Amino acid sequence: MRRSWVPVAVLWLGYTVLMMWAVAQFNWLPEQWAIEAEVVDEAMVLLQYLGAPVMALVLAVMTWALIAWRSNGANRPDGPPQRDNRTVLTTWLIVTSALAIFVVINPGFVGLAEIRGEPSADYVIEVEAAQFFWKVTYPNGTESFDELVVPSERRVRYDVTSVDVNHSFWIPAFRIKIDAVAGLTTQAFATAEHEGGIDDDINLRIQCAELCGAGHASMAMPVRVVSDQEFNEYIETLGEGE
Amino acid sequence: MTMLEDSPAQSTGSTAQDSSTETKPRPKARRPFRWVLRGVVLAIIGWATGVALAIAIRGGSPTDEIVVIVAYVFALIGWLAGVGGIEAFGRQWIGKKPQVNTDPSWGRYFGFSIDHKVIGIQYGVTLIAVLLIGGLAAMIMRIELASPGVGVVDLDDFNKIVSMHGILMVAVAVAGVLGAFGNYVVPIQVGAQDMAFPRINALAFWLLPPVAVGLLGAPLLGSFNAGWTAYAPLSVVNESGQILFNMAIITFGLVSILGAINIIVTVITMRAKGLTWGRLPIFTWAAFSTSLLAFTVTQFFAGALVLVTMDRVVGTSFFAPEVGTSLLYQHIFWFYSHPAVYIMVIPGFGVILELTTTFARKPLFAYKAVVAAFLGIVGLSVVVWAHHMFTSGMADFLHGPFMILTEAISIPTGIIFLSMIGTLWQGALWFRTPLVMAFGWLFNFLIGGITGIFLADIATDIHLHDTYFVVAHFHYTIVGGAIFALLAASFYWFPKITGRMYNEKLGTLFAIWVTVAFNLTFIPLFWAGMNGMNRRIGDYPDAYAGANRFASFAALILGASFLLFVWNMLYSAIRGPKAGPNPWNARTLEWLISSPPPTHNFVKEPVVVGAPYDYGVEGSVHAYFKDPDPAAPPEPTTEDVSAEVQDEALAESQEEVS
Ligand code: HEM
Ligand SMILES: [Cu+2]
Ligand SMILES: [Cu+2]
Repeated sequence: MRRSWVPVAVLWLGYTVLMMWAVAQFNWLPEQWAIEAEVVDEAMVLLQYLGAPVMALVLAVMTWALIAWRSNGANRPDGPPQRDNRTVLTTWLIVTSALAIFVVINPGFVGLAEIRGEPSADYVIEVEAAQFFWKVTYPNGTESFDELVVPSERRVRYDVTSVDVNHSFWIPAFRIKIDAVAGLTTQAFATAEHEGGIDDDINLRIQCAELCGAGHASMAMPVRVVSDQEFNEYIETLGEGE
Repeated sequence: MTMLEDSPAQSTGSTAQDSSTETKPRPKARRPFRWVLRGVVLAIIGWATGVALAIAIRGGSPTDEIVVIVAYVFALIGWLAGVGGIEAFGRQWIGKKPQVNTDPSWGRYFGFSIDHKVIGIQYGVTLIAVLLIGGLAAMIMRIELASPGVGVVDLDDFNKIVSMHGILMVAVAVAGVLGAFGNYVVPIQVGAQDMAFPRINALAFWLLPPVAVGLLGAPLLGSFNAGWTAYAPLSVVNESGQILFNMAIITFGLVSILGAINIIVTVITMRAKGLTWGRLPIFTWAAFSTSLLAFTVTQFFAGALVLVTMDRVVGTSFFAPEVGTSLLYQHIFWFYSHPAVYIMVIPGFGVILELTTTFARKPLFAYKAVVAAFLGIVGLSVVVWAHHMFTSGMADFLHGPFMILTEAISIPTGIIFLSMIGTLWQGALWFRTPLVMAFGWLFNFLIGGITGIFLADIATDIHLHDTYFVVAHFHYTIVGGAIFALLAASFYWFPKITGRMYNEKLGTLFAIWVTVAFNLTFIPLFWAGMNGMNRRIGDYPDAYAGANRFASFAALILGASFLLFVWNMLYSAIRGPKAGPNPWNARTLEWLISSPPPTHNFVKEPVVVGAPYDYGVEGSVHAYFKDPDPAAPPEPTTEDVSAEVQDEALAESQEEVS
């Protein structure tokens, strides 16, 4: 019988190394503007590393099948009659279960705790969605319809709601998202890290991420991160304008 | 050598039944469209009656939603009566014997036939047509998305096209493999002459055209723009086309449930002598497990849509924005629609594993574990629905359990991969089109599975939910898992169904083309999603222009590949070389009878004596055919039966059923 374990194992190792190298080498993710983004991206990268050997295994078998196991014609001799292999099946079950348990714990629960676990916040900003615009209300009661300004290095809680259909409050640069549902107040937390605006990164925007009707695609609002002091000054002057 | 390779091998003579039906001249079709025409006429009359009735009772105009509902129901009844319901069911109610269509010509595909093979083909052709229409919608979307800004369609129309594309494709993926091949192949694989409830089977199929007409007719009422998911409250307040969506999908639920009942009962009660559960071909197991699932959960989607409909027309407020219960809609919806993704892919698993054993000439690896995995998926899939709601605002304490259960389902799904790999392992792989498609399937589903982990994990899903990452992921699972299997199955069973061989070169070319083009279309979209492009949008920031231009270009190449598929199928069905009963030298029952099979499938009674895939096992036999007992009275043949029925002009091609 031809030995297939060896070449498949070599291919598997090769693909795994290649993919892990690619994960380490290239960053597919957008720039991080908040601590939450780091948590999410870390999880993304970890899952890519974990996925690499799994993917590599199947690819290795496929590759070797294409190279070495070809035969021609309906009347070719049968393959070996192996119906089962207890060791392989058990190992497979143990490994896949272990992987599943592992990812449930980390990044699963660990990430969940880091993003949503801590209820305290330095500021609360209210966000109201409507077809098809956003309204933000700052802690001092001032409102804005055209820009969300947030302080850096402060944990902000967003209390999100909707006045009509469902929308979703998403700031890609922060990697946070929570639906806006009429009749409910949902919450998201984010701690912005450095200052910047939509001109620095298109992902510094609130983007509606739940289909809400004709204007859904254009239901976005720029986000600007400023220092804590500037933030307080900004909301003061916003109030004076009224 | 090449000659040998291409000439279909005859099966191991002793077990094959090759009836000589092929030599008879083809019967001519006589007025083949009269049933469909009568259906259309009665549907129109029904619609008019419904409109008149509803307006007489409460006034209003024909486009009022309540009027549309009444008219739809009346039209549906008219249609069913017209296409053959009067003969198949109505006659029984007045004490006469029911009749069904037994037209021997191709006209039978346009009548109320109860032959599961005819019904399978009816499903197959109808759903491939729907797939192509949905594909056209996809092409329009990709053209619009080729560059940022509003181009060929405006933003709202884009939403409507997304919704139409989504729901048509979901219907194809749910009913494609099961409707076409579940119907055609399952009864033969279990050694039965037909389904358990043949008339119900026909009824289920004839409910399908109204679904397509209802959906495609929705633009007349302003179409629906709430996505295929129809989330309330948007689906409560949008244009009236949503009503047609609701009615069509409730009807479609009926198709699913009736079809599922038939498969469940057929597999439980009609297996041939000796066909124990442990000898059941894996495709039949897949169809059976899927049917259990479809039978259990389909009513939830229908139920949710009934509530939406009531909110719209009778002023209830299940999902009214003020009361904040729109999460309820999502819970009920996903209670169906998560299992639905398994309704789409389990039959695909069955197809792919089935044909892999054939082309690897090896037993199915870990057969029992695969069956356990199917049943495990069926069980688990009804308790993971809320993983679609991690950002919905549902209570935080629900996140943990649903994440655990979701990760748990990856274990049975992993077994499918193991079985596939184990079956390929050191096999004698014969790369015909179905196996090439199976390799494409394996690659796609692998990517679909790996990217699914990112969506099951809450931290990453919070970012990725409702982005193009999800769009790419579910295309990899649904198109890669279900539609690729549907295409593979079309090639695999083509010689059985048509008696002819498709063109192998064009088939392989198509398989490679569709796999490559598909991957080029959707790989860049993972990147777009991760980098902040949300879904269901007709316009996007310039930052994503590159990925989208690439995807749109590849999508057109992908779309074009289907011309090759359709050509190969149509041309080969008419002009292809004769295939013989068993061109793949396979073992399950459908390959032991002639191609195409005789009317009642088996000329002699099949007796199953062994496992279905014991390739390489010395002297193994799956089934043989018992010679008829000379003492028993001869069974009437088809000719005898149709000769009895000559009473009315209507019944020229009808057969009585008891
Ligand atoms: C020719 C290949 C296809 C292309 C280029 C394509 C493209 C697209 C695009 C651009 C969208 C819109 C995504 C969004 O904004 O959410 C979409 C949505 C969708 N597609 Fe496809 N698609 C193709 C085939 C299919 C097939 C074969 C199926 C299923 C069998 C399918 C199922 C869906 C579903 C369920 C949606 C979601 C609709 C919704 O959001 O309501 N697609 N597709
Ligand atoms: Cu929106
Ligand atoms: Cu799901």
